[in-house]
Amino acid sequence: MAVPPPVNPSAKYDPVVRAPARGATPRPPVDLSEKYDFTVVKWFSIAAMVYGLVGFLVGDLLAWQLTFPVLNFDLPYISFGRLRPLHTSAVIFAFGGSVLFATSYYVVQRTCKARLFSSLLTSITFWGWNLVVVLVVVTYPLGLVQGKEYAEPIWIIDLLITVVWVAYLINFVGTLARRKEPHIYVANWFFLAFIITVAVLHIVNNLEVPVNLTDSYPVWAGVQGALIQWWYGHNAVGFFLTAAFLGIIYYFVPKQAERPIYSYRLSIVHFWSLMFLYIWAGPHHLQYTALPDWVGTLGATFSIMLILPSWGGMINGIMTLSGVWHKLRTDPILRFFIISLSFYGMSTFEGPVMSLKSVNALSHYTDWGIGHVHSGGLGWVAMVSFAALYHLVPKLWQTRIHSVAMINLHFWMATIGIVFYITAMWISGVMQGLMARAHDTFGNLTYSFAEIVQATHPYYFIRAVGGLIFLSGAILMAYNLWMTVRHAPRVTA
Amino acid sequence: MADKQVETTGHQWDDEEGFPLQEFNNPLPRWWLYSFYATILFAVIYWILYPAWPIPGGFTKGVLGWSQYQELQKEMTDAQSARKVFDDRLSAASLEEIAANPQLLAYAKAGGRALFANQCAGCHGTEGSGTTQGFPILVDDDWLYGGTLQEIYATIANGRSGTMPPHLQAAGGAFSEAQVNDLADFVLTLSNRPADKAAAERGKALFMGDAGCHLCHGDHGRGSVLDTLGGQPLDHNTGAPNLTDGIWLHGGDRATIVQTIARGRASKMPAWGVDSGESLGRNLGPLAVKQLALYVHGLGGGK
Repeated sequence: MAVPPPVNPSAKYDPVVRAPARGATPRPPVDLSEKYDFTVVKWFSIAAMVYGLVGFLVGDLLAWQLTFPVLNFDLPYISFGRLRPLHTSAVIFAFGGSVLFATSYYVVQRTCKARLFSSLLTSITFWGWNLVVVLVVVTYPLGLVQGKEYAEPIWIIDLLITVVWVAYLINFVGTLARRKEPHIYVANWFFLAFIITVAVLHIVNNLEVPVNLTDSYPVWAGVQGALIQWWYGHNAVGFFLTAAFLGIIYYFVPKQAERPIYSYRLSIVHFWSLMFLYIWAGPHHLQYTALPDWVGTLGATFSIMLILPSWGGMINGIMTLSGVWHKLRTDPILRFFIISLSFYGMSTFEGPVMSLKSVNALSHYTDWGIGHVHSGGLGWVAMVSFAALYHLVPKLWQTRIHSVAMINLHFWMATIGIVFYITAMWISGVMQGLMARAHDTFGNLTYSFAEIVQATHPYYFIRAVGGLIFLSGAILMAYNLWMTVRHAPRVTA
Repeated sequence: MADKQVETTGHQWDDEEGFPLQEFNNPLPRWWLYSFYATILFAVIYWILYPAWPIPGGFTKGVLGWSQYQELQKEMTDAQSARKVFDDRLSAASLEEIAANPQLLAYAKAGGRALFANQCAGCHGTEGSGTTQGFPILVDDDWLYGGTLQEIYATIANGRSGTMPPHLQAAGGAFSEAQVNDLADFVLTLSNRPADKAAAERGKALFMGDAGCHLCHGDHGRGSVLDTLGGQPLDHNTGAPNLTDGIWLHGGDRATIVQTIARGRASKMPAWGVDSGESLGRNLGPLAVKQLALYVHGLGGGK
C-alpha cells in the first residue's frame, strides 16, 4: 500500500508552494487590495463571526430554556417567546446576511475584475445592515415585533432594510455592468437571483399600514396573509439560505480544490429549474389549514419537483473534487464544504418529503420541523459559511491561517454537535407526532399534551448539549481567525 | 477521470492569483435527469388524483374526489358511529349499573382516562398521582367530599369550594397567636405526633369549644366524611379534611398547620358540568362527567 507523501499543513495555505494544476497556471500571490474594495469584505467577515457567535449562543440558551424552563428567570426580556425570533434573525440575517455580503462583494469583484460600483452604496450596505441588526436586538426583547415569522421587524426597520437592499442591488448590478470579463460567472447568477428575489419577498410580505412609530397593520388578511407569509418564509430559505449560499459554493469550492467546476451545463439547468420551482413551494407550510386543498397540492408537488434541481448544486460542488478526492485528507476547509453539501442534499430531500400531506400530518407542529431546519441551518448554511470564512480571512489579510489543527477540531465539533442536535429532534419529532395521533378504537387519545412534553424532555437535553458542542466549535473558530488576523503582516506606509 | 473526455468551456475568471476559475462541460448526469423527469411525472399524477390547479369558477377537483374536509368528516363519523352504541348504553345506565358491567366500565374508563389526561392532570397529576400541594391526590382513599360514584360525579359536575376560615385576629379571626399555636399542638397530637402536652390540652379545649373546629372536622378530628358530631354523621359536602391521618392537602408540618389555622385556606375545584351555570365551568356533557367519575373512582380509592 502506497504511503502518501508527508504533508506540511501550513504549506496548504501558502499559494507559492501549491502544486500546479492541470489546465491552468496558478498565479503567485499578488496584492489585490488596492485594486478591489476588500475593506468592506473584511468588515462583513468580522461582523459575520461576531453575529454567528451571538446567534448560536442565544440558540443554545433557548435549547436550555426548553429543557429547564427556570432559565427564563421570569424575565420577560429573555423569555423564550422574545428570544426565539432574536435567535432566528441573528443566525439568518445577521450571521448569514453578513457572510453573504462579504462573499458576494468579494466574488463579484474578483470574477468581474472590477471594483465595487460605488463606495457610498458599499458604506450604506455595511452601516445600514448593522444598524438593522442593532435595532432588531433592541426591539425584539422589548416585545416590539409584528408577529410574522422571520419577518418580525416593525415597519420602520422594514423601511431601513428596503433602503439597504436596494443599495445592495444597485451596487451589485453596477459592478457586474463594469466587468472586464465577457461572461458573468455562475456564482454571480445565484447572488443576483438572491438579491432580486429577497427584495420582492421582503416588500410584498411587509406591505402594511403604519398606525404609529412601532405598530402597523398588514394589508394581507386571513388566509391570504398566511399564504403571503409562507411564500415569503419558504423563499427566504430558498433564495437567502439556498441560492445565495450556492453562489458561495460555485466560487469557493473550485478555488479551494483548485479544480474547474464539474459541469457548466448542469449549472444552467439546475439554476433555472431551481429559480422556477422554488417560488411555488411555500404553501406546503400550510397543509391541513384553512388554505384551499389545491394550493397545498401545488406547493407539495413543486417541492417534489424541486429535489433534483436542488441536488444539481450538490452534484456540481461535490463532483468538482473528482480527481482530487485525496485533498479531503489534508484540507479541512474542503471537508467543511463537502459535508455542508451533504447536509444540503439531505435536507433538500427531507423537505419535499415533509411537504406531502400524509407525511406533513405527522411531522408538522413537531420537533421534526426543528430538526429539518437545523440540518439545513447548521449542516448546510453554517458549515459552508465557516469554510468560506476560513478561505477568505487568510486571503484578505494576506497571511496564513493560525492553526490548521484547530480547523480540523472545529470540523469535528461542528459535525458531532449537529448530529446530536438533529438525531435528537428527529426522534422526538416522530415520537411527538405518533403520540399526538395515538388513540384507541373509540377515538380516545392515548396521550395528553403534558405526557408528550414529558417524553420529549430527554431529547431536549441532548439537543442542548449538541448545540453547546457546536457553539464551542464556533468559539474555537473565532479564536483561530482572531489569531490569524493578529499575526497578519502590518501594512507599512 | 471525467476531465479526460471533457473539455472546459474555455472561459476563465479570477486568474490574477491562485487557481483560475474554469468550468468543465460535463453532460447532465443521466440518473439526475431521469430522476428529475420522474419527479415531474409524480407531480402530474398527483395533479390528476388530487385538487390541484385553479380554473375559472373553481379548481380541478382530482379524480379521487379527495378534500381535507371530507377526510376530517369521515374520520369523525367513523369514530362517532363506533362510539354510538356504547355511548347510548352509557347514557341510559346509572353509574352503579355501569360499574357492575365490566365491558361498559372498561369503555367508560378509557374515555375517562383521555378526558382526565387533558382536563384534570394539570392540577391532580398524571393519573391522579398529585402535583403540588393544594390539589388532592386521587389515588388514595382519603376523600374530602366522599368517595362514592355519586359524590365524585357531583364534585366534577358542580365543583367544590373548600373554605377554612382564618383564626388569627390579625387575619380577621378571633384568636391570639398563642391560641393558634395551642390549636396547632393539638392538631399534631391527632396524628400521633410529638407536641407540647400542656399546649395541646389548651388547644383541645379550643378545638371542641370556642374555635368550633369540631363542628366541621368532627368530634375526633377525622373529617366530615368519616367523623361524627355528637353521634350524628356530618354533611359530606362540608369538605373538612381528616386530621388524624398522614395525608395533608396543604402540608402537615407544624409551620404549615399554624399558617392554615391562622390565615385560613380557600380551595376551588372548578365545575366541569355543562349545566353547572358557573363561570369557571368547562362545559363537559353528562356523558363525559360520567366517564370521568368512573375513571377517578377506579383510580384506587373509590368507595
